[in-house]
This record gives sequence, structure tokens and C-alpha cells, in this order.
Amino acid sequence: MHPVRLAVLTVVCLLLSGLAGAAAYFFPVVVAGVGQTGQTVVVPPSSTGRASPTPSAPPGAPFTVLLLGSDDDSKFQADHVLTQSMILVRVEPTSKRVTMLSIPRDLWVPLSTGGSAKIDAAYSYGGAAAAIATVERNFHVRVDEYAWIGLKGLIKLIDRLGGIDLFVTNPVLDDFYPNDIDVKNFYGYRRVAVLPGAQHLDGSSALQYVRSRHNDINGDFGRSARQQQVLLGIKAKASTLSPADLPDIVDALKGEFKTSMGLDRVRSLLGVANAFDLTNTKQIVLYVPLFTSYGQVSGQSVILPHWNQILPVVKANFP
Amino acid sequence: MILRRIAAILFLPMMLAFGSGVYLYLGTMKSKVVKERAQLPTATKPKFVLPGTMFVVQGGRLFKLNAGSFTEIGPAGDWSQPAVTPDHTRLIAVLRSGQSSDLYVLDLDGHVLKRLTKDDSRIIDANHWVFYPRVSPDGTNLFYAYDSPKHVTGAPGVDLTIWSMPLNGTQREARVRSAPYWYSGGDVSPIPLAGTGLIFVRHSIDPSTAVHSQILFQSRPGAVVKSLTNLADNCSQPALSPDGTQLAMICTGGKQTAKVEVAPFTGSALGPAKVLLDGRLYAAPAWSPDGKALAYFAPAGAAGHFQLWYLALPNLAPSASASASATPSAGATSSVRASASPTPTPPVPVQVTQGVDLSATSPPAWF
Repeated sequence: MHPVRLAVLTVVCLLLSGLAGAAAYFFPVVVAGVGQTGQTVVVPPSSTGRASPTPSAPPGAPFTVLLLGSDDDSKFQADHVLTQSMILVRVEPTSKRVTMLSIPRDLWVPLSTGGSAKIDAAYSYGGAAAAIATVERNFHVRVDEYAWIGLKGLIKLIDRLGGIDLFVTNPVLDDFYPNDIDVKNFYGYRRVAVLPGAQHLDGSSALQYVRSRHNDINGDFGRSARQQQVLLGIKAKASTLSPADLPDIVDALKGEFKTSMGLDRVRSLLGVANAFDLTNTKQIVLYVPLFTSYGQVSGQSVILPHWNQILPVVKANFP
Repeated sequence: MILRRIAAILFLPMMLAFGSGVYLYLGTMKSKVVKERAQLPTATKPKFVLPGTMFVVQGGRLFKLNAGSFTEIGPAGDWSQPAVTPDHTRLIAVLRSGQSSDLYVLDLDGHVLKRLTKDDSRIIDANHWVFYPRVSPDGTNLFYAYDSPKHVTGAPGVDLTIWSMPLNGTQREARVRSAPYWYSGGDVSPIPLAGTGLIFVRHSIDPSTAVHSQILFQSRPGAVVKSLTNLADNCSQPALSPDGTQLAMICTGGKQTAKVEVAPFTGSALGPAKVLLDGRLYAAPAWSPDGKALAYFAPAGAAGHFQLWYLALPNLAPSASASASATPSAGATSSVRASASPTPTPPVPVQVTQGVDLSATSPPAWF
């Protein structure tokens, strides 16, 4: 065999085998990319007349993500869960600014699927499309993408990240914290205590911190503020990840994560995450009494929106 | 033809080996965030030998640091927050067990001498938490944060209240010492002073969901509390110097980073604070036995595990202006101390441990 041909053949074979090795390594990422990212949602046309499904914002342009967090335990049928956490996040890649607005889960609004209910029910009636449409119609905001994560997914994600560091602002104590993960009786309760101060939290402790609400004078609003805090902790940790970490992260989120974002946007988000810092992050909570008030509807305790206060804030921060 | 077959036979294992090599190589490219696992303190050697003896906690296990090496002490369990008695002969520590926690007296080698509280119950909400034990300077009374009484009407409320009991007495002799804000998490970190004085931290939450922590002083049981720090400064985790003239603390100003500050303490008021460190997640300052240095926890390394740090202090002479500070009530928002100003030549912290994952909510007990 001619030496040149042999050399070429050797290089080609090595390239092919190297690609095969890399493909094997990233295979779980590809599978997840197909199964969990790029989820198509058909959002019903809104009163603003926007076309559906939602076209993604062009690369580099500001975009808005609706983050959804759910109990995905045995209390619910698959994909008919309540979204206990709903956070609108606007990312401005050019100016490196992030704005987060927590939507109270008990906010009483007209649902896109018909009728009125607490906003956390939208997802259970019509999945991500209904949640997005309900948020868009009520808040007069355009949602470009969504991401949904289950409770177990959050625990696993934080554990795979090796835990997160944050400053716990006050003792978070709860005598009626849901004991519904990996148990037979998922209607039980347990006591939790997360002590204040800077600390390294694992997934379970971080979940207790963001999920507990019984002993917070601001109830769900206080919990929303803690959820934003943990999101920033996750972001800080995620910014140090490398592409080689993706298979581990994907494995942690198996079945616990769905997003409309394609792999390209997820990858670009990881890339820019490092550039964001806390000083460029704005956090908004629709607290009582300015933005909302407590009320009773059909025997349910609900949060009533003050749209005249909410919408200007939304318009200013989610143009 | 034969040469081609030989080449093919040679190429196949080569390709297999190279492909596997790429796979394994990518595995080594994982960030330290994912790969880094904490070691037990006993498997590490401190990079700096601290004076005296210190007790720290990792993963519910008690460790004694003495003469530059760690020793694990105490029986198995979820231990935390060791505190040394003033005569340096015993430890008071918290043992968590599921839904409750209790205080125990241990000797300095970790042998349990006595159980001080019984807070467990088969009824979930009849359980109690007890944290932050601290013995009075005369060694007679034990102060701690205890989630009793509970708010039983309306929404269930569990907030920590400062209590005290005779160290050699029983839980039945315990007395309430503070009145926390409901649904805030409550009062923590008591520091009993000589006589009847008490320093502690109170938490509050305002309607905008902002959470505040404030260091308070109470001259005697039942007396009106005075704020030692401004509400907006969000100071907590106080540590009193061995001679009682300086107070170290962690202040965040409502941010997700912290400052280590030290202020002169007159016995009832704080003077102007000096910022020793700023901009990271600092926790649990503790004074050296001679009062000339601080130990504290802060993350180091990609994984963000908390390590022990040592900070030799600059001259911190008590300020004569300290007593001039006004001390309005705990809820007041007016400034009660001079603006914190950075020291001209900041002290340089020294990292003592590496690769461990110390519990930052268990302040070092150091004597």
C-alpha cells in the first residue's frame, strides 16, 4: 500500500473512531435533546392576535422564558400537575441583564382553557401551552420559551452540580412540609428546619428552602423570593460547567425537565450564563398589598391581582 | 490484498482504542464542579496550625482540631453547633433526629455525659427544634433558641425563641427570654453576657418580602430590647471577643454576599464597625483564644464547599465613641451605628482547610 494512502487512511480511521467515541459520550445528550428540548407547544391565539405557535426570538435578541416548577409526585396524573412555581425570566444577552418576575401560584385569573381559577391550574388543564397562553393573556407579555422542571429534577440537578451556595436569610421552619417524595403515603407531612446564614445546600435542603411556605408571614410571596434566590445559585454553579458535564446533567433531569428551547439556545444560555452577575439581575415579587390582595373565591383562598399596578411593571420590564 | 487485510486487522483495535480514548478523555474534561467530592477533615491536613483547640462539624459529625490535626469525636448521629463551657471542660451540642433536635452535654473527647432536653414526639407538630446553645459566662445557665411556644391559631407558626435554663437543671426550669416576630423564623444566636445581659439576633420580614436580621441587646429578662445594628444592614451571627470588648458579625445589607465586620462593644452598645472582609459568602466568625484573630467559614474551590479560614486582626482598639450610639427599638430603621468603613490596610485571610465541607451553620467552638 502506498505510504500516502496508508497515512490518509489512518487519519480517516482515527477521525471516525474519535467521532464515534464523542458520539457515544454525548449520546444521552442527543437523546434528551430530541426528547426533552425543542418541545413544540401550540399556544392558542391571544387577544393581541399573535400567531401561534410562538416563534422563537432570533439568536442574540432578548427573550422571555416562563419557568415552571411542579409537584410531579404520585398525587397527580402524569403531565396534569399544578405549577407551584411560575417565574417569568427576561434574558438580554447583549446587555447581560436578567429580570425575574414571580407569579403567585394562587393568583386568580381567567384561564386560556376557559373559566377562572388559580393560575397554577393552567398547566394541569392544558399543559405548557395553556400555562403560556394564560400568562400571555393576563400579563400582556410575550413568552418566547418555556422550561418545566419537576421537584425530583430540581433535587437531582442541584446534587449533580455538587450543591449550591447561598445566604439563607432567616430560619425556614415548617411543621407541615409535604412528605411526598419517594414515600408510599404522599399525603403526609414532616418537619423541616433550614438554619440561616451562608451555607452549601444539597438538593433536598435547597428544595426545603424553596418549597416551605407555612411559616413565612408572606406565604407564597416569601417562597417566590427564595425560589429566585435558588435560581441565581443554580445559575452561578451552572456557569462553571463545561460541555463534558452535559451527559451527567441530562441524566439527572431524565423525565424531570422539558423545554421549548432547542439545544442551540440551551448551549448559548450556558455560554452567556457566566457573564451575568447579581448586580445585573432584577427580582420582582407581586407582593401584597401593592400588587395583589388576599381574597376568597368559591371557598378557596386566592390572591387577587391589582392589574393597574402589575401591568405597568410588566410592560416596563418585559417590553 | 494480504497487506490490506493485515492493515484492517491492525486498524480495528487501533480505532477501538482511539474511540474509547476520546470517550474517556471527554470524561476527564468534566468541570471540577461536578467531580469535586468533599473529604473528611480527618483525611486532610490543615495548611495552617491554629492555636488552641477548635470544634467544627461536617455532615453531622463532630471534629476536634488540635495541634494541626483533626480527630473525629462523638457518637454517630446528626450533630451540630458545639459550644464550649466557660471552664473549657465540656461541650454542649445539638443532636438532630428526624423531626426534632436535642441538647447534649459531652466531654471534650465527645463522650455523652447528659441529655439536657427531650423534644421528640410521635405527634409531628408536638416535636420541637432546639439550636444555638451557649453557656453563660459564669457557667450556670444555658441559653438556646427553641421553637416554643408555637402559634396554634390560624396558620401553623413555628418560630425560634430565646430560652434559658440552669445548666445543671432540667428543661422544666427553662424560661422564655425573647418574643420573636411571628412567621419570620424567629430569634437565634444568643450570647449571654456577664450579669443578666443578652445579645441575640432577631429576624423580620417586611411586606415587600425583604427579610431582615438585626443584632439586639437586652439588659435583663423582660427588658425592652435595643438594636445594636441597623435593620437595613442585615447583621447576624454575632461573636463576642474573649475580653467582651469587640463584637464580630456577618452583615449582608440584603445582598447575597456578606461582610465580616468588627465593632467595639461597651456592654450595651456598639461603636463604629470596621469591615474586615467583603464580597463573598462568609459565615460563623469565631474569636481566637487571645482575641487577636478570627476564624470563619467561606467557600473555596469549584464545588463551593465551605472551608475554615483564619484572619489575623489589625489593631481594633475600642472606640470611645461607641457609647454615643443611640439604640432605638428593634423595629426602628434609623441608623444606630456609624457607617462601616473599610480598613486602610485589609488583613489577609489564610485558608486553613482544603477539600472538606464544613457546616457553615455550626460556628467553630474555639478556646
